[in-house]
Amino acid sequence: MPAIARAPIVQGLIFGIVGFLIGIAGTGLVRVAFLGRDGGDWWSTDLSWTIGYPVALVGWLIGVGGWRYWGREWFGGEVDQYEMKGWQRYFGFSPDHKVIGIQYVVTFTLLFLLSGLTVMLVRYELAQSGLQLFNNDTYNAAMSFHGITMVAVAVAILAGGFGNYVLPLQIGAQDMAFPRLNALTFWLVPPVAILLVTAVLMGGWETGWSAYPPLANLQTKPGQVLFNLAVITFGLVSILGAINFLVTVIYERAPGMTWGRLPIFTWGIFAASLIAFFFTQAFAAGLAMILFDRVLGTSFFNASGGGSAILYQHVFWFYSHPAVYVMVLPAFGLILEILSHLSRKPLFAYRWAVGGMIGIVALSGVVWAHHMFTSGMQDYLHAPFLVLTELISIPTGLIFLAAIGTIWAGRLWVNVPMLFALGFLFNFLMGGITGIYLADVPTDLFLHDTYFVVAHFHYTIMGGEIFALMAATYFWFPKMTGRMYSERLGQLHFWMMFIGFQLVFLPMFDVGIKGMNRRVADFPSAYDDFNLFITLSAFFLGASFIPFTWNLVVSWIRGPKAEANPYRASTLEWQVSSPPPEHNFPEIPEVVGPPYPYGQPDVRHVPGPAGAAGAPAGGGGGGGG
Amino acid sequence: MRRDLTLVIVLWAIVSIVSVGVAVFVMDPFPAVGAEESELIDEAFMVMTYMGAPVFAIVIAVLMIALWKWRASGPPAEGEDGPPILGTNWFPKAWLAASAVLAVVVMIYPGLTGLAELREDDTAEMRVEVTSVSWQWLINYPDHDGIRLSSGAGDEMVLPAHTRIQFDVEALDILHSFWVPAFRQKIDAVPGQTTVLYTTVTETGSYEDDVAYRIQCAELCGLNHTDMAMKVRVVERDEFDEWVAAQHASAAKVR
Repeated sequence: MPAIARAPIVQGLIFGIVGFLIGIAGTGLVRVAFLGRDGGDWWSTDLSWTIGYPVALVGWLIGVGGWRYWGREWFGGEVDQYEMKGWQRYFGFSPDHKVIGIQYVVTFTLLFLLSGLTVMLVRYELAQSGLQLFNNDTYNAAMSFHGITMVAVAVAILAGGFGNYVLPLQIGAQDMAFPRLNALTFWLVPPVAILLVTAVLMGGWETGWSAYPPLANLQTKPGQVLFNLAVITFGLVSILGAINFLVTVIYERAPGMTWGRLPIFTWGIFAASLIAFFFTQAFAAGLAMILFDRVLGTSFFNASGGGSAILYQHVFWFYSHPAVYVMVLPAFGLILEILSHLSRKPLFAYRWAVGGMIGIVALSGVVWAHHMFTSGMQDYLHAPFLVLTELISIPTGLIFLAAIGTIWAGRLWVNVPMLFALGFLFNFLMGGITGIYLADVPTDLFLHDTYFVVAHFHYTIMGGEIFALMAATYFWFPKMTGRMYSERLGQLHFWMMFIGFQLVFLPMFDVGIKGMNRRVADFPSAYDDFNLFITLSAFFLGASFIPFTWNLVVSWIRGPKAEANPYRASTLEWQVSSPPPEHNFPEIPEVVGPPYPYGQPDVRHVPGPAGAAGAPAGGGGGGGG
Repeated sequence: MRRDLTLVIVLWAIVSIVSVGVAVFVMDPFPAVGAEESELIDEAFMVMTYMGAPVFAIVIAVLMIALWKWRASGPPAEGEDGPPILGTNWFPKAWLAASAVLAVVVMIYPGLTGLAELREDDTAEMRVEVTSVSWQWLINYPDHDGIRLSSGAGDEMVLPAHTRIQFDVEALDILHSFWVPAFRQKIDAVPGQTTVLYTTVTETGSYEDDVAYRIQCAELCGLNHTDMAMKVRVVERDEFDEWVAAQHASAAKVR
């Protein structure tokens, strides 16, 4: 067998395609032989995909490594060794959390850039009233693709990427609790991306990322089925990842790493994992019910069959509001982490910040219906959901308290990650305050579904989480690649992105209040000036990712070698070489004190030489590039 | 430390005042005010802006002073740390209490009070039936012997000024949402049920004056969602009566 045919991705694709063919052939046979449905036609787009895809998915997982490295063992065979080295590791089934972390970061960064390019086309269309580039149909496809891919990026990249890479290091573990499950979870992601791109190539789907029925039930476009299958698969990624993080944090902490000594980023991932674990299945169930309506002839959401369209919205938002905290809690942790290290101050009110995170977890599950104030749901639900939604500002306030308390009187090294962390504070503040308008029923009845909402959630998710993502990317770049990024290009990226971001999204609040609704390809010409300005700003914002991409690609290839601890930071990931040795720690470290012992000469997080926290300790092998 | 605190309080006050000033004198965000409810909602919006200003300002003030006074260039030298302020004293509790008070205030006023005000009156002087079907608005005037309009035919929805109107909203196929930006509130059109929106229309106005005088579908409804709009014209009572008579006359002619 030629070497290329042994490559995991190739085997996965072969097995996946075989699985798909088996699935649709079996479906076709049964349809022709027994059902006579649609005149005995063997092919039905909805049904053939719904059955062909899960079989393809199983084939893909077997081929990509599930058999060779795992399943064979159960049946008494010898599993293969993970023989791949260097860059090839990233294209294979690797149980190493550091490889998987980079796999997530790179995959979702590519998806992020693709989705960003899509939205440049969307903004080109919206530069003036009338239709330029798209028609109503292709506009919906592009807008829907942008929506779901960015939601997927936002859910997965911080936890899946940086959580995977950094969390085991931060708690002094050699790997995640379930390394092979971790690899399997990552390899569920490519089918999601393939399905979504295929859906667009087949003409897309019309329902945005929220897939409200009855439209999602009734539209004839096959892309809807692919969308549902993709998102259900992605839900599985989220749940399996969350289980792995929860077990890892509970059971794999190094000796002395008490809950009160956990770095705050780890707390953020832990809190987000709790939410993903508890709530994701609601979304998957909702989408499965749509598939049932389409394929099995049920009527969950069809009024004519006794169902309710509003039911779906409850099920959907029961997950999809908590999902924003799956996106943002890791970002909170990350920002507090960076502010503490780069201000050289202990995290202010650490226990209150953790309390804030847990408070957000608790409240996240009881606020969903604020997305439904205009939905025609029972009137008596308005007041309680208004009250509960406003309450969430209280734990979020504790995160801000920790942030501004930490930079207070510190020594702020304002480098690229710090700039992005401070930018996060500004943007999330804007996003949080404008959220109040959408939580209060009277103003929400007005602002719901306008560009005010678009601006608000981009301030929280893009201005918030994606700024945190950029902070994380630069902050841990030397640790993950062993090389330093260019500070100057990074600063150029920050300022272009920060200014571009404000110029795009501030005017959206205004045009939304003036009556422009979202998810439209065309609008009254009265909004032309606003939209031209927003589009030009969007191109500028998009251009900020050129120095970003250039910087990271070039620095990864031939940037200067990074020290083990370029920021002289105190947490465990900085006490090993950059990149860390194969099993992270030559010997399991012992934790003796709080995570951020800055300014306290007698306090240590890990035993080390005298002086300020953060001198390299227990180095270990010189990198495995 | 004490000087820094004074500075932050001064900056806080300045940023708060400037923010409120911008909100009052510079911002002019609202479209045409076509209903009593619009006034209530716009006022609620401004109240929240005033309440949000000091919250915004406290973070901005600390960010400003931090970047101005505590900025350092380059990596820290040995032992060059900030003071170990752990925040284990009374301060987080005070912060928690203050933010809780603020949250409770904003949920009561303008939240719950505004909601109660919008809901208190469920009577109307006139009823209009709004039926949505992909991708058209069909308007029916049951109080005026069945005048029927449709956005597909290029009709305008005509309403009398200074009248409390009950819109009964229905959907024939999928979800849509009935929204006239000049009247602010929106309500979804849901298959299988009738949703109701009460609006006390005030001044006269039309799409030509302000594009906020249009019905705009505000729930993504597929292919032609973008185009699912209908112009709205609010006219004085006597003009409305003339319009009704004219509609009846032309309907008789067709018959």
